[in-house]
Amino acid sequence: MNTIVITGASSGIGLETARILTRQGFNVLGVSRSEDNCKKAEENILSENPNARISFFVADLMQQREVVRVAEEIILYLNEHCDGELYALINNAGCVRSWYMTTEEGYEQQFAINHLAGFLLTYKLLPALMKVRGCVIMTGSDSHKGIRVHWSDVMLRRRYNPLTAYKQSKLCNILFAKGLNDRYAAAGIRAYVVDPGLVKTDIGNKETGSLVNFIWTLRKRHGVTPDIPAKTYAFLCEQKNKLEGLYYYLCKEKSYSKQVTSENANRLFELSERLCDISYEKVRMI
Amino acid sequence: MNVLITGAAGGLGRAFANECASRGYNLFLTDINAEGLNSIKRGLERQFDVAVATAACDLTNPESVDKMLDIINKYEIRFDMLLNVAGLDFEGGFMGREREKLVKIVMLNNAATLRITHAILRRRKMGKPFAIVFVSSLASMFPMPLKATYAASKRFLLDFAVSLRQELKDENVNVLTLCPGGMVTTQEIIGSIKAQGFWGDATTNPLEEVACSTIDRALAGKSLYVPGKLNRILSFFGKIIPRSWIAAVVYRRWKKAQRTTLCFDKPKV
Repeated sequence: MNTIVITGASSGIGLETARILTRQGFNVLGVSRSEDNCKKAEENILSENPNARISFFVADLMQQREVVRVAEEIILYLNEHCDGELYALINNAGCVRSWYMTTEEGYEQQFAINHLAGFLLTYKLLPALMKVRGCVIMTGSDSHKGIRVHWSDVMLRRRYNPLTAYKQSKLCNILFAKGLNDRYAAAGIRAYVVDPGLVKTDIGNKETGSLVNFIWTLRKRHGVTPDIPAKTYAFLCEQKNKLEGLYYYLCKEKSYSKQVTSENANRLFELSERLCDISYEKVRMI
Repeated sequence: MNVLITGAAGGLGRAFANECASRGYNLFLTDINAEGLNSIKRGLERQFDVAVATAACDLTNPESVDKMLDIINKYEIRFDMLLNVAGLDFEGGFMGREREKLVKIVMLNNAATLRITHAILRRRKMGKPFAIVFVSSLASMFPMPLKATYAASKRFLLDFAVSLRQELKDENVNVLTLCPGGMVTTQEIIGSIKAQGFWGDATTNPLEEVACSTIDRALAGKSLYVPGKLNRILSFFGKIIPRSWIAAVVYRRWKKAQRTTLCFDKPKV
Protein backbone atom coordinates (compact mmCIF):
# COMPACT_ATOMS: atom_id res chain seq x y z
CA MET A 1 0.00 0.00 0.00
CA ASN A 2 1.58 3.28 -1.11
CA THR A 3 1.02 6.00 1.42
CA ILE A 4 1.40 9.73 0.82
CA VAL A 5 1.35 12.52 3.42
CA ILE A 6 0.01 15.91 2.31
CA THR A 7 0.12 18.96 4.56
CA GLY A 8 -2.46 21.71 4.13
CA ALA A 9 -4.73 19.03 2.66
CA SER A 10 -8.14 20.37 3.69
CA SER A 11 -8.43 23.10 1.07
CA GLY A 12 -7.00 24.54 -2.13
CA ILE A 13 -4.18 22.72 -3.89
CA GLY A 14 -3.71 20.22 -1.05
CA LEU A 15 -7.33 19.06 -1.17
CA GLU A 16 -7.35 18.60 -4.96
CA THR A 17 -4.05 16.74 -4.83
CA ALA A 18 -5.45 14.46 -2.12
CA ARG A 19 -8.51 13.85 -4.31
CA ILE A 20 -6.50 12.87 -7.39
CA LEU A 21 -4.10 10.68 -5.44
CA THR A 22 -6.90 8.80 -3.67
CA ARG A 23 -8.51 8.24 -7.08
CA GLN A 24 -5.27 6.67 -8.23
CA GLY A 25 -5.40 4.30 -5.28
CA PHE A 26 -2.87 5.90 -2.99
CA ASN A 27 -3.48 5.88 0.74
CA VAL A 28 -3.49 9.58 1.64
CA LEU A 29 -2.77 11.04 5.07
CA GLY A 30 -3.82 14.68 5.17
CA VAL A 31 -2.58 17.18 7.75
CA SER A 32 -4.51 20.35 8.47
CA ARG A 33 -4.97 22.89 11.23
CA SER A 34 -8.70 22.80 11.85
CA GLU A 35 -10.57 19.68 12.87
CA ASP A 36 -13.73 20.97 11.19
CA ASN A 37 -12.02 21.50 7.86
CA CYS A 38 -10.41 18.06 8.10
CA LYS A 39 -13.81 16.43 8.57
CA LYS A 40 -15.33 18.39 5.70
CA ALA A 41 -12.45 17.53 3.38
CA GLU A 42 -12.66 13.86 4.28
CA GLU A 43 -16.41 13.78 3.63
CA ASN A 44 -15.91 15.72 0.42
CA ILE A 45 -13.43 13.18 -0.93
CA LEU A 46 -15.40 10.15 0.27
CA SER A 47 -18.68 11.46 -1.16
CA GLU A 48 -17.43 11.15 -4.72
CA ASN A 49 -15.18 8.16 -4.15
CA PRO A 50 -16.46 5.94 -1.32
CA ASN A 51 -13.46 3.62 -1.71
CA ALA A 52 -10.92 6.42 -1.20
CA ARG A 53 -8.34 5.68 1.47
CA ILE A 54 -8.01 8.97 3.29
CA SER A 55 -7.30 9.91 6.92
CA PHE A 56 -6.68 13.27 8.47
CA PHE A 57 -4.36 14.45 11.25
CA VAL A 58 -5.00 17.78 12.98
CA ALA A 59 -1.94 19.95 13.62
CA ASP A 60 -1.00 23.62 13.62
CA LEU A 61 2.29 23.37 11.74
CA MET A 62 3.21 26.91 12.73
CA GLN A 63 4.28 25.55 16.14
CA GLN A 64 7.26 23.21 16.14
CA ARG A 65 5.91 21.12 19.00
CA GLU A 66 2.84 20.45 16.86
CA VAL A 67 5.01 19.41 13.90
CA VAL A 68 6.87 16.97 16.12
CA ARG A 69 3.67 15.62 17.66
CA VAL A 70 1.92 15.02 14.35
CA ALA A 71 5.09 13.44 12.90
CA GLU A 72 5.08 10.96 15.77
CA GLU A 73 1.41 10.19 15.21
CA ILE A 74 2.05 9.63 11.51
CA ILE A 75 5.00 7.34 12.25
CA LEU A 76 2.81 5.29 14.61
CA TYR A 77 0.18 5.02 11.88
CA LEU A 78 2.76 4.02 9.28
CA ASN A 79 4.22 1.36 11.57
CA GLU A 80 0.79 -0.05 12.26
CA HIS A 81 -0.71 0.05 8.78
CA CYS A 82 2.07 0.48 6.22
CA ASP A 83 5.12 -1.45 7.49
CA GLY A 84 6.61 1.89 8.44
CA GLU A 85 6.88 2.92 4.80
CA LEU A 86 6.11 6.33 3.34
CA TYR A 87 5.97 6.66 -0.42
CA ALA A 88 5.83 10.46 -0.65
CA LEU A 89 5.63 13.56 1.51
CA ILE A 90 4.02 16.66 0.04
CA ASN A 91 4.94 19.78 2.02
CA ASN A 92 2.15 21.97 0.77
CA ALA A 93 0.91 23.88 3.83
CA GLY A 94 1.67 27.56 3.48
CA CYS A 95 0.46 30.99 4.42
CA VAL A 96 0.56 34.65 3.47
CA ARG A 97 0.83 37.38 6.11
CA SER A 98 0.32 41.13 5.95
CA TRP A 99 2.35 41.91 9.04
CA TYR A 100 5.40 40.71 10.90
CA MET A 101 3.97 38.07 13.21
CA THR A 102 5.84 35.43 15.15
CA THR A 103 5.37 31.85 16.29
CA GLU A 104 5.80 30.75 19.90
CA GLU A 105 9.53 30.47 19.26
CA GLY A 106 9.57 34.05 18.00
CA TYR A 107 10.11 32.99 14.36
CA GLU A 108 8.50 34.97 11.55
CA GLN A 109 5.35 33.09 10.56
CA GLN A 110 5.72 32.83 6.78
CA PHE A 111 9.27 31.52 7.18
CA ALA A 112 8.07 29.18 9.95
CA ILE A 113 5.16 27.59 8.08
CA ASN A 114 6.25 27.82 4.47
CA HIS A 115 9.77 26.57 5.12
CA LEU A 116 10.68 25.42 8.65
CA ALA A 117 7.58 23.26 9.20
CA GLY A 118 8.36 21.23 6.06
CA PHE A 119 12.04 21.09 6.93
CA LEU A 120 11.28 19.62 10.36
CA LEU A 121 8.50 17.28 9.20
CA THR A 122 10.68 15.89 6.41
CA TYR A 123 13.46 15.24 8.91
CA LYS A 124 11.09 13.30 11.15
CA LEU A 125 9.62 11.25 8.30
CA LEU A 126 12.88 10.67 6.43
CA PRO A 127 13.53 7.17 7.83
CA ALA A 128 10.06 6.09 6.62
CA LEU A 129 10.72 7.65 3.20
CA MET A 130 14.12 5.95 2.93
CA LYS A 131 12.57 2.50 3.32
CA VAL A 132 10.85 2.77 -0.06
CA ARG A 133 13.10 5.36 -1.73
CA GLY A 134 10.29 7.86 -1.56
CA CYS A 135 10.04 11.43 -2.70
CA VAL A 136 9.45 14.83 -1.10
CA ILE A 137 7.49 17.49 -2.96
CA MET A 138 7.28 21.14 -1.98
CA THR A 139 4.70 23.66 -3.14
CA GLY A 140 6.82 26.44 -4.57
CA SER A 141 6.12 29.52 -6.60
CA ASP A 142 7.67 31.32 -9.53
CA SER A 143 7.92 34.34 -7.21
CA HIS A 144 11.08 32.74 -5.80
CA LYS A 145 12.89 34.26 -8.76
CA GLY A 146 14.50 37.68 -8.49
CA ILE A 147 15.16 37.45 -4.78
CA ARG A 148 17.95 36.28 -2.49
CA VAL A 149 17.85 34.87 1.01
CA HIS A 150 18.44 37.68 3.52
CA TRP A 151 20.99 35.68 5.49
CA SER A 152 21.75 38.40 8.02
CA ASP A 153 18.07 38.91 8.87
CA VAL A 154 16.19 35.89 7.66
CA MET A 155 13.10 36.75 9.73
CA LEU A 156 13.13 40.20 8.07
CA ARG A 157 12.65 42.10 11.32
CA ARG A 158 14.30 45.11 9.73
CA ARG A 159 11.89 46.57 7.18
CA TYR A 160 9.43 43.74 7.04
CA ASN A 161 7.80 43.41 3.67
CA PRO A 162 5.16 40.67 3.50
CA LEU A 163 5.76 39.93 -0.16
CA THR A 164 9.53 39.70 0.33
CA ALA A 165 8.97 37.30 3.20
CA TYR A 166 6.71 35.16 1.02
CA LYS A 167 9.11 35.09 -1.92
CA GLN A 168 12.03 34.28 0.31
CA SER A 169 10.15 31.39 1.91
CA LYS A 170 9.42 30.01 -1.57
CA LEU A 171 13.10 30.31 -2.51
CA CYS A 172 13.84 28.38 0.69
CA ASN A 173 11.51 25.60 -0.49
CA ILE A 174 13.52 25.05 -3.64
CA LEU A 175 16.84 25.39 -1.81
CA PHE A 176 15.62 22.77 0.64
CA ALA A 177 14.72 20.42 -2.24
CA LYS A 178 18.13 21.01 -3.80
CA GLY A 179 19.84 20.26 -0.48
CA LEU A 180 17.81 17.07 -0.03
CA ASN A 181 18.81 15.85 -3.49
CA ASP A 182 22.46 16.67 -2.80
CA ARG A 183 22.32 14.60 0.36
CA TYR A 184 19.93 11.76 -0.38
CA ALA A 185 19.69 11.21 -4.16
CA ALA A 186 22.29 8.48 -3.74
CA ALA A 187 20.00 6.82 -1.20
CA GLY A 188 17.21 6.87 -3.79
CA ILE A 189 15.25 9.81 -2.39
CA ARG A 190 14.24 12.63 -4.72
CA ALA A 191 12.88 16.04 -3.83
CA TYR A 192 10.86 18.24 -6.19
CA VAL A 193 9.23 21.63 -6.16
CA VAL A 194 5.97 22.22 -7.97
CA ASP A 195 5.15 25.66 -9.31
CA PRO A 196 1.36 25.69 -9.14
CA GLY A 197 1.08 28.90 -11.16
CA LEU A 198 -1.64 31.37 -10.25
CA VAL A 199 -4.39 29.34 -8.58
CA LYS A 200 -7.84 30.26 -7.28
CA THR A 201 -7.32 29.48 -3.59
CA ASP A 202 -7.93 31.49 -0.43
CA ILE A 203 -4.28 31.70 0.64
CA GLY A 204 -4.26 35.51 0.38
CA ASN A 205 -7.60 35.90 2.16
CA LYS A 206 -6.76 33.99 5.34
CA GLU A 207 -5.61 36.14 8.23
CA THR A 208 -4.38 38.99 6.07
CA GLY A 209 -5.09 42.72 6.13
CA SER A 210 -7.51 44.50 3.86
CA LEU A 211 -4.87 45.48 1.28
CA VAL A 212 -3.44 42.00 0.72
CA ASN A 213 -6.98 40.65 0.87
CA PHE A 214 -8.18 43.06 -1.79
CA ILE A 215 -5.23 42.53 -4.14
CA TRP A 216 -5.47 38.75 -3.83
CA THR A 217 -9.24 38.77 -4.44
CA LEU A 218 -8.66 40.64 -7.70
CA ARG A 219 -5.65 38.58 -8.67
CA LYS A 220 -7.02 35.11 -8.05
CA ARG A 221 -9.83 35.70 -10.54
CA HIS A 222 -7.28 35.13 -13.26
CA GLY A 223 -6.06 31.93 -11.66
CA VAL A 224 -6.76 28.33 -12.64
CA THR A 225 -8.71 25.94 -10.44
CA PRO A 226 -6.59 23.93 -7.96
CA ASP A 227 -7.12 20.64 -9.82
CA ILE A 228 -4.74 21.90 -12.55
CA PRO A 229 -1.59 22.09 -10.35
CA ALA A 230 -2.74 18.95 -8.49
CA LYS A 231 -2.07 16.96 -11.67
CA THR A 232 1.62 17.85 -11.49
CA TYR A 233 1.92 16.39 -7.98
CA ALA A 234 0.16 13.24 -9.14
CA PHE A 235 2.43 13.08 -12.19
CA LEU A 236 5.52 13.17 -9.96
CA CYS A 237 4.12 10.58 -7.56
CA GLU A 238 3.12 8.05 -10.22
CA GLN A 239 6.56 7.81 -11.91
CA LYS A 240 8.00 4.30 -11.64
CA ASN A 241 11.52 5.59 -12.25
CA LYS A 242 12.22 8.81 -10.41
CA LEU A 243 12.55 11.91 -12.56
CA GLU A 244 15.81 13.81 -12.27
CA GLY A 245 14.45 17.37 -12.42
CA LEU A 246 13.94 19.76 -9.52
CA TYR A 247 11.27 22.28 -10.49
CA TYR A 248 8.03 21.34 -12.30
CA TYR A 249 5.15 23.27 -13.81
CA LEU A 250 2.24 21.57 -15.61
CA CYS A 251 4.08 18.23 -15.50
CA LYS A 252 7.13 19.69 -17.23
CA GLU A 253 10.53 20.74 -15.96
CA LYS A 254 11.02 24.45 -15.64
CA SER A 255 14.02 26.72 -15.10
CA TYR A 256 14.61 28.13 -11.65
CA SER A 257 16.55 30.94 -10.00
CA LYS A 258 20.33 31.11 -10.22
CA GLN A 259 20.27 31.50 -6.45
CA VAL A 260 19.54 27.78 -6.21
CA THR A 261 23.06 26.52 -5.61
CA SER A 262 24.47 23.80 -3.38
CA GLU A 263 26.30 26.47 -1.44
CA ASN A 264 23.08 28.34 -0.60
CA ALA A 265 21.30 25.06 0.09
CA ASN A 266 24.00 24.05 2.57
CA ARG A 267 23.75 27.42 4.23
CA LEU A 268 19.98 27.06 4.55
CA PHE A 269 20.35 23.54 5.95
CA GLU A 270 22.77 24.75 8.58
CA LEU A 271 20.51 27.66 9.59
CA SER A 272 17.30 25.61 9.59
CA GLU A 273 18.89 22.75 11.53
CA ARG A 274 19.86 25.26 14.19
CA LEU A 275 16.36 26.80 14.26
CA CYS A 276 14.76 23.34 14.59
CA ASP A 277 17.51 21.87 16.78
CA ILE A 278 17.98 18.84 14.53
CA SER A 279 20.80 17.39 12.42
CA TYR A 280 20.14 15.78 9.05
CA GLU A 281 23.65 14.36 9.27
CA LYS A 282 22.38 11.86 11.83
CA VAL A 283 19.75 10.46 9.49
CA ARG A 284 22.31 10.09 6.74
CA MET A 285 24.33 7.65 8.82
CA ILE A 286 21.43 5.31 9.52
CA MET B 1 23.34 44.67 29.14
CA ASN B 2 20.73 42.74 31.17
CA VAL B 3 17.07 43.24 30.34
CA LEU B 4 13.97 42.00 32.14
CA ILE B 5 10.83 41.65 30.03
CA THR B 6 7.40 40.94 31.51
CA GLY B 7 4.70 39.40 29.31
CA ALA B 8 7.55 37.96 27.25
CA ALA B 9 5.61 35.05 25.76
CA GLY B 10 3.05 37.31 24.05
CA GLY B 11 3.34 38.91 20.64
CA LEU B 12 4.85 42.24 21.72
CA GLY B 13 7.00 40.59 24.38
CA ARG B 14 8.47 38.20 21.79
CA ALA B 15 9.15 41.08 19.42
CA PHE B 16 10.99 42.94 22.20
CA ALA B 17 12.89 39.79 23.15
CA ASN B 18 14.00 39.25 19.53
CA GLU B 19 15.02 42.88 19.23
CA CYS B 20 17.05 42.84 22.45
CA ALA B 21 18.68 39.49 21.66
CA SER B 22 19.67 40.71 18.19
CA ARG B 23 21.47 43.57 19.92
CA GLY B 24 23.32 41.08 22.09
CA TYR B 25 21.50 41.87 25.35
CA ASN B 26 21.07 39.11 27.91
CA LEU B 27 17.49 38.46 28.84
CA PHE B 28 15.45 37.56 31.89
CA LEU B 29 11.96 36.74 30.66
CA THR B 30 8.82 36.32 32.67
CA ASP B 31 5.23 35.50 31.77
CA ILE B 32 2.31 33.66 33.33
CA ASN B 33 2.50 31.16 30.44
CA ALA B 34 5.33 28.77 31.33
CA GLU B 35 5.18 26.75 28.12
CA GLY B 36 5.27 29.89 25.99
CA LEU B 37 8.32 31.08 27.94
CA ASN B 38 10.15 27.84 27.17
CA SER B 39 9.34 28.20 23.48
CA ILE B 40 10.59 31.76 23.15
CA LYS B 41 13.71 30.90 25.16
CA ARG B 42 14.43 28.02 22.74
CA GLY B 43 13.85 30.23 19.73
CA LEU B 44 16.13 32.99 21.00
CA GLU B 45 18.95 30.67 21.99
CA ARG B 46 18.89 29.02 18.57
CA GLN B 47 19.07 32.38 16.80
CA PHE B 48 21.31 34.52 18.95
CA ASP B 49 24.37 34.13 21.10
CA VAL B 50 22.86 35.53 24.30
CA ALA B 51 21.99 34.22 27.75
CA VAL B 52 18.24 33.78 28.29
CA ALA B 53 16.81 33.07 31.75
CA THR B 54 13.11 32.54 32.37
CA ALA B 55 10.79 32.38 35.34
CA ALA B 56 7.06 31.83 35.01
CA CYS B 57 5.32 34.25 37.32
CA ASP B 58 1.87 35.65 38.05
CA LEU B 59 2.71 39.29 38.61
CA THR B 60 -0.61 39.91 40.35
CA ASN B 61 0.39 37.45 43.06
CA PRO B 62 2.95 38.89 45.53
CA GLU B 63 4.17 35.42 46.53
CA SER B 64 4.79 34.46 42.93
CA VAL B 65 6.76 37.65 42.41
CA ASP B 66 8.76 36.99 45.58
CA LYS B 67 9.69 33.55 44.25
CA MET B 68 10.97 35.13 41.05
CA LEU B 69 12.90 37.74 43.03
CA ASP B 70 14.48 34.91 45.04
CA ILE B 71 15.95 33.56 41.82
CA ILE B 72 17.19 37.00 40.84
CA ASN B 73 18.68 37.47 44.30
CA LYS B 74 20.27 34.03 44.34
CA TYR B 75 22.20 34.68 41.14
CA GLU B 76 22.67 38.35 42.03
CA ILE B 77 21.37 39.45 38.66
CA ARG B 78 21.45 43.21 38.18
CA PHE B 79 19.57 44.93 35.36
CA ASP B 80 20.07 47.74 32.87
CA MET B 81 16.56 47.81 31.49
CA LEU B 82 13.00 46.82 32.37
CA LEU B 83 10.30 46.39 29.75
CA ASN B 84 6.85 46.32 31.35
CA VAL B 85 4.86 44.56 28.65
CA ALA B 86 2.47 42.37 30.67
CA GLY B 87 -1.02 43.76 30.47
CA LEU B 88 -4.61 42.77 30.06
CA ASP B 89 -7.70 43.96 28.23
CA PHE B 90 -11.33 42.91 28.16
CA GLU B 91 -13.72 44.65 25.83
CA GLY B 92 -17.23 45.77 26.53
CA GLY B 93 -19.38 48.01 28.66
CA PHE B 94 -18.55 48.32 32.35
CA MET B 95 -21.79 46.70 33.52
CA GLY B 96 -21.57 43.99 30.87
CA ARG B 97 -18.35 42.59 32.33
CA GLU B 98 -17.69 40.27 35.23
CA ARG B 99 -16.68 42.20 38.34
CA GLU B 100 -13.50 40.30 39.10
CA LYS B 101 -12.31 40.42 35.50
CA LEU B 102 -12.56 44.19 35.54
CA VAL B 103 -10.64 44.40 38.77
CA LYS B 104 -8.02 42.10 37.33
CA ILE B 105 -7.26 44.66 34.59
CA VAL B 106 -6.21 47.18 37.22
CA MET B 107 -4.48 44.52 39.31
CA LEU B 108 -2.22 43.56 36.44
CA ASN B 109 -1.86 46.72 34.37
CA ASN B 110 -1.27 48.92 37.41
CA ALA B 111 -0.70 47.18 40.74
CA ALA B 112 1.50 44.43 39.33
CA THR B 113 3.42 46.85 37.12
CA LEU B 114 4.23 49.00 40.14
CA ARG B 115 5.26 45.91 42.13
CA ILE B 116 7.73 44.67 39.52
CA THR B 117 9.01 48.16 38.68
CA HIS B 118 9.78 48.86 42.34
CA ALA B 119 11.50 45.50 42.75
CA ILE B 120 13.64 45.77 39.62
CA LEU B 121 14.62 49.40 40.27
CA ARG B 122 16.08 48.08 43.56
CA ARG B 123 17.97 45.51 41.51
CA ARG B 124 19.42 47.78 38.87
CA LYS B 125 23.12 48.17 38.28
CA MET B 126 23.96 51.02 40.57
CA GLY B 127 25.86 53.91 39.06
CA LYS B 128 24.92 52.84 35.54
CA PRO B 129 22.18 54.21 33.29
CA PHE B 130 18.89 52.36 33.65
CA ALA B 131 15.85 52.46 31.37
CA ILE B 132 12.24 51.58 32.09
CA VAL B 133 9.58 51.17 29.42
CA PHE B 134 5.91 51.22 30.29
CA VAL B 135 3.68 49.83 27.58
CA SER B 136 0.70 52.13 27.69
CA SER B 137 -1.59 52.59 24.69
CA LEU B 138 -2.99 55.16 22.30
CA ALA B 139 -6.14 54.51 24.33
CA SER B 140 -4.50 56.32 27.25
CA MET B 141 -4.85 59.60 25.36
CA PHE B 142 -8.65 59.57 25.34
CA PRO B 143 -11.60 58.70 27.49
CA MET B 144 -12.76 55.38 26.03
CA PRO B 145 -16.32 54.30 26.68
CA LEU B 146 -16.64 50.52 26.29
CA LYS B 147 -12.92 50.23 27.07
CA ALA B 148 -13.15 52.45 30.13
CA THR B 149 -11.18 50.40 32.64
CA TYR B 150 -8.47 49.47 30.17
CA ALA B 151 -8.00 53.03 28.89
CA ALA B 152 -7.94 54.44 32.40
CA SER B 153 -5.41 51.83 33.51
CA LYS B 154 -3.19 52.85 30.59
CA ARG B 155 -3.70 56.51 31.51
CA PHE B 156 -2.47 55.66 34.98
CA LEU B 157 0.79 54.37 33.49
CA LEU B 158 1.19 57.45 31.30
CA ASP B 159 0.79 59.84 34.22
CA PHE B 160 2.75 57.73 36.66
CA ALA B 161 5.67 57.50 34.22
CA VAL B 162 5.96 61.27 33.87
CA SER B 163 6.26 61.71 37.63
CA LEU B 164 8.55 58.75 38.18
CA ARG B 165 10.80 60.05 35.44
CA GLN B 166 11.16 63.33 37.30
CA GLU B 167 11.91 61.60 40.60
CA LEU B 168 14.65 59.43 39.10
CA LYS B 169 16.15 61.89 36.68
CA ASP B 170 19.18 62.59 38.82
CA GLU B 171 19.81 58.89 39.34
CA ASN B 172 20.50 58.24 35.68
CA VAL B 173 17.20 56.43 35.15
CA ASN B 174 15.15 57.10 32.06
CA VAL B 175 11.45 56.33 31.88
CA LEU B 176 9.75 55.95 28.52
CA THR B 177 6.06 55.43 27.89
CA LEU B 178 5.08 53.62 24.72
CA CYS B 179 1.60 54.45 23.39
CA PRO B 180 0.96 52.28 20.33
CA GLY B 181 -2.26 51.90 18.38
CA GLY B 182 -3.27 48.37 17.47
CA MET B 183 -0.53 45.84 16.85
CA VAL B 184 -0.95 42.50 15.16
CA THR B 185 0.26 40.30 17.97
CA THR B 186 -2.23 37.46 17.57
CA GLN B 187 -4.34 35.91 14.83
CA GLU B 188 -7.55 37.14 16.49
CA ILE B 189 -6.49 40.77 16.29
CA ILE B 190 -6.57 40.63 12.50
CA GLY B 191 -10.33 40.19 12.72
CA SER B 192 -10.76 43.16 15.02
CA ILE B 193 -8.62 45.38 12.79
CA LYS B 194 -10.79 44.43 9.84
CA ALA B 195 -13.91 45.19 11.90
CA GLN B 196 -12.69 48.73 12.51
CA GLY B 197 -12.42 49.31 8.78
CA PHE B 198 -10.25 52.21 7.67
CA TRP B 199 -9.31 53.30 11.20
CA GLY B 200 -8.24 49.81 12.11
CA ASP B 201 -5.64 49.63 9.35
CA ALA B 202 -4.62 53.26 9.70
CA THR B 203 -3.87 53.17 13.43
CA THR B 204 -2.13 49.77 13.33
CA ASN B 205 1.60 49.92 14.01
CA PRO B 206 4.14 47.43 12.69
CA LEU B 207 5.25 45.34 15.65
CA GLU B 208 8.89 44.93 14.62
CA GLU B 209 9.37 48.68 14.07
CA VAL B 210 7.74 49.57 17.38
CA ALA B 211 10.01 47.13 19.21
CA CYS B 212 13.15 48.51 17.58
CA SER B 213 12.30 52.22 17.94
CA THR B 214 11.15 51.81 21.54
CA ILE B 215 14.52 50.43 22.61
CA ASP B 216 16.34 53.13 20.62
CA ARG B 217 14.29 55.87 22.27
CA ALA B 218 14.48 54.42 25.75
CA LEU B 219 18.29 54.39 25.46
CA ALA B 220 18.31 57.89 23.99
CA GLY B 221 16.52 59.28 27.05
CA LYS B 222 13.16 60.00 25.41
CA SER B 223 10.01 60.15 27.54
CA LEU B 224 7.12 59.36 25.21
CA TYR B 225 6.78 57.34 22.02
CA VAL B 226 3.58 57.39 20.01
CA PRO B 227 4.33 55.31 16.89
CA GLY B 228 2.82 56.44 13.59
CA LYS B 229 2.04 59.91 12.21
CA LEU B 230 -1.72 59.47 12.31
CA ASN B 231 -1.57 58.27 15.92
CA ARG B 232 0.48 61.36 16.86
CA ILE B 233 -2.14 63.59 15.21
CA LEU B 234 -4.92 61.74 17.03
CA SER B 235 -3.14 62.11 20.36
CA PHE B 236 -2.70 65.84 19.68
CA PHE B 237 -6.44 66.25 19.14
CA GLY B 238 -6.97 64.25 22.30
CA LYS B 239 -5.32 67.11 24.18
CA ILE B 240 -7.30 70.01 22.67
CA ILE B 241 -10.82 68.64 22.18
CA PRO B 242 -13.09 68.58 25.25
CA ARG B 243 -12.99 65.10 26.75
CA SER B 244 -16.76 64.73 26.86
CA TRP B 245 -16.92 65.25 23.09
CA ILE B 246 -14.27 62.64 22.50
CA ALA B 247 -16.13 60.21 24.74
CA ALA B 248 -19.25 60.63 22.61
CA VAL B 249 -17.41 60.04 19.33
CA VAL B 250 -15.41 57.09 20.65
CA TYR B 251 -18.54 55.51 22.07
CA ARG B 252 -20.24 55.57 18.66
CA ARG B 253 -17.21 54.15 16.92
CA TRP B 254 -16.59 51.29 19.38
CA LYS B 255 -20.22 50.34 19.49
CA LYS B 256 -20.10 49.80 15.76
CA ALA B 257 -16.79 47.91 15.74
CA GLN B 258 -17.74 45.73 18.69
CA ARG B 259 -20.84 44.53 16.98
CA THR B 260 -18.55 42.72 14.56
CA THR B 261 -15.89 41.53 16.93
CA LEU B 262 -14.12 42.09 20.22
CA CYS B 263 -10.79 43.57 21.23
CA PHE B 264 -8.32 46.21 20.14
CA ASP B 265 -4.88 45.68 21.61
CA LYS B 266 -5.31 42.35 23.25
CA PRO B 267 -4.13 40.76 26.48
CA LYS B 268 -0.41 40.28 26.66
CA VAL B 269 -0.47 38.47 29.95
